[in-house]
Amino acid sequence: MTLPKGFGSGGGGGSSSADVERMIGRRVENMTGMITISYWAALLATFGGTAAGYFYYPWAYPTASGHFAFIVLAIIEAIGYIFCVKVMEEGSNKNSNGIVGGSIAATVAFVIFVTMFVGR
Amino acid sequence: MAQMPALIPKEVEIQRLKKIWLIVIAMGSTAASVEVDNFVDGSLHQTSIRDSAFTPAHWWLYSHFVALPLGWGSAAIYDRKVPVLRGPNNSMNTGLKMTILGYLATMFTIGVNEMWHFWFVEEIFAVPNHWMFNMGVVVAFMGALAYVVRVYARLVELGAETPGENPYVAEMYKMALEGKLYSRSIP
Repeated sequence: MTLPKGFGSGGGGGSSSADVERMIGRRVENMTGMITISYWAALLATFGGTAAGYFYYPWAYPTASGHFAFIVLAIIEAIGYIFCVKVMEEGSNKNSNGIVGGSIAATVAFVIFVTMFVGR
Repeated sequence: MAQMPALIPKEVEIQRLKKIWLIVIAMGSTAASVEVDNFVDGSLHQTSIRDSAFTPAHWWLYSHFVALPLGWGSAAIYDRKVPVLRGPNNSMNTGLKMTILGYLATMFTIGVNEMWHFWFVEEIFAVPNHWMFNMGVVVAFMGALAYVVRVYARLVELGAETPGENPYVAEMYKMALEGKLYSRSIP
């Protein structure tokens, strides 16, 4: 197969597996760590957003509404997180069920903690 | 579809399509979040009628209306690395164009909306300044659906995904792989 400029053996048109690896860069099945960090960043940002609502604008956004929004958004983000990891790892030998399970369990604990003890 | 020649190695294309898929899932979650905020914002307006641009429901709604066109824009930047997703005349994919334009319309409408409410302090759902929020989102959803189906169908074509077991869905994939499902104007 003819490869883009800069790849291959210089005019021969042949492609080696090293060239293919170089075109791919970081493989998606190795992105679980980055996906997990992004998920937690999104979840904490969501908490920050709803907390700013019920701490600074309680007249507009009572704590119960903030908690409800936080729960629903946490569910949406968790589903997206699970999809991301499972789709990226399918077809490979990678298996991050432990990380995903731990992350989701920690999310559940965090959401329950926030809804029970954080607010005004 | 099926007649489109592969211009990059199959393994590279699968990896790139999956990286696009990551952005798609993130944007889908963001769009779902916007739909939740539609209810929150509507609920708030039933209580306090017109408030300001900076109440929490508006932070949520408006920040996402900024994030969505930027996020889909990042998909458009990366999308150039997958030849099969190019639009007419090697331009941006038509579905992506519609998505970005739709969300840009909602972004623009934030300004229109705030200007309207400077004079008219009400919060009636059907007033004209709200129209383009909804029209923009509808255009964006149509474009995103076309793009998502295209990416997924290509993953099926490359053998990276298995078509659904539902016979109606399986028939759709079969037609897609034969190039009979989509308009030629949305390649």
